[in-house]
Amino acid sequence: MSSISSNPPLPVIYSAGTRSVRDLRTLVSEVAEGRGLRCLRSTGDGYLLTFYDPQSAEMAAIRTVEAAFELLRRSVLRNRQVSEERALNLRCAVHLGEVDIVANDREGPHISMAYLLEEISRASLPAALNPIPPEQFPLQNYVLCSEEVAGILSRRAQQWELSSIGLLKLKGFPGWREVFWCSPKQRKHSSAPVIVKNH
Amino acid sequence: MEAPAPLRKSLALLFCDLAGTTRLTAKEGDLVASAVFREFYEHAGRLSGEHHSLTIKFIYDAFLSVFANIDDVMPFVISIERLFAENPMLVGRFAGFHFSLHYGEVVLIETSYGREVLGEAVAVVAELNGAARTLPQEIVVSQAALERMPSSYRQLAGPSEFYEFKRLGKSVEFHRISLAG
Repeated sequence: MSSISSNPPLPVIYSAGTRSVRDLRTLVSEVAEGRGLRCLRSTGDGYLLTFYDPQSAEMAAIRTVEAAFELLRRSVLRNRQVSEERALNLRCAVHLGEVDIVANDREGPHISMAYLLEEISRASLPAALNPIPPEQFPLQNYVLCSEEVAGILSRRAQQWELSSIGLLKLKGFPGWREVFWCSPKQRKHSSAPVIVKNH
Repeated sequence: MEAPAPLRKSLALLFCDLAGTTRLTAKEGDLVASAVFREFYEHAGRLSGEHHSLTIKFIYDAFLSVFANIDDVMPFVISIERLFAENPMLVGRFAGFHFSLHYGEVVLIETSYGREVLGEAVAVVAELNGAARTLPQEIVVSQAALERMPSSYRQLAGPSEFYEFKRLGKSVEFHRISLAG
């Protein structure tokens, strides 16, 4: 039976480009469980996660972005210990919205929005308005967020820098959606986010 | 070879969004829809060149076209209307167009995928497009663009309206000009 959550959880997608999904699940559990993880569902080569915070949905958004960066950090460390074939290269997308709660899953247009955000890549940019140059967009190991999440981060969290990657049309959603690339502030002058190198 | 330096200039920006593309895909399938779009891109691209557009950027069922001379815009709009009335592949397949026109400063740059136009004016003309109606067929024109249009079109403009841009934190004055007839 489905129900509407009264305090909106947060859908997130972590997608892995390798087969090391079991390792990814372990990492996700380690970083997410202490941050209000409510649902963890496999999407084949990645995971959909939703988070909850008893204080507010905005805090859940911040916890989620924290979890995404911690996940990236740990995956970089892990990648140094494993062969190239087993490396985890991640794309994360964070969105905030009300979802339908069903057993071991979440449904609704905001889940679709999170998936659509996660699908954005360099190849999406020529179809955007006011896009950043595709060469500046990372190939992997990055965090994208929706306008809703970017608004919360700009008001309530100063540790991340938000850069618009452009206005995009997302299938099934009217109008234009501005999508943001979120990166740690101390890396402001670096030309790319975390790049994984295997030993 | 070095890419040309970005060009910052005040230009006329036309945005066109086709109405009824979801129905086209549902009714005739994505193969037919993609063939129809190819036809649209080819002819709209040709017409934009004939009307001195500096660049045209297609975004699925929409395009953004940029003009140095705003006088070239309405003849181009009329040619697009005519295209959809006469081209056998396009006739009857769409519910109409949403046209919007704005004038403002943009940056023209050469990118790895072709010429690109950047700036707040781009967001304004794209968002303003949401105010355009297909019945009756019309073009919504910002006040900044209307002031620079030929007097024959200024006389056809409807009363002032305002479009709220939440993202930009401001409102833009615009007018409607009927394209009927």
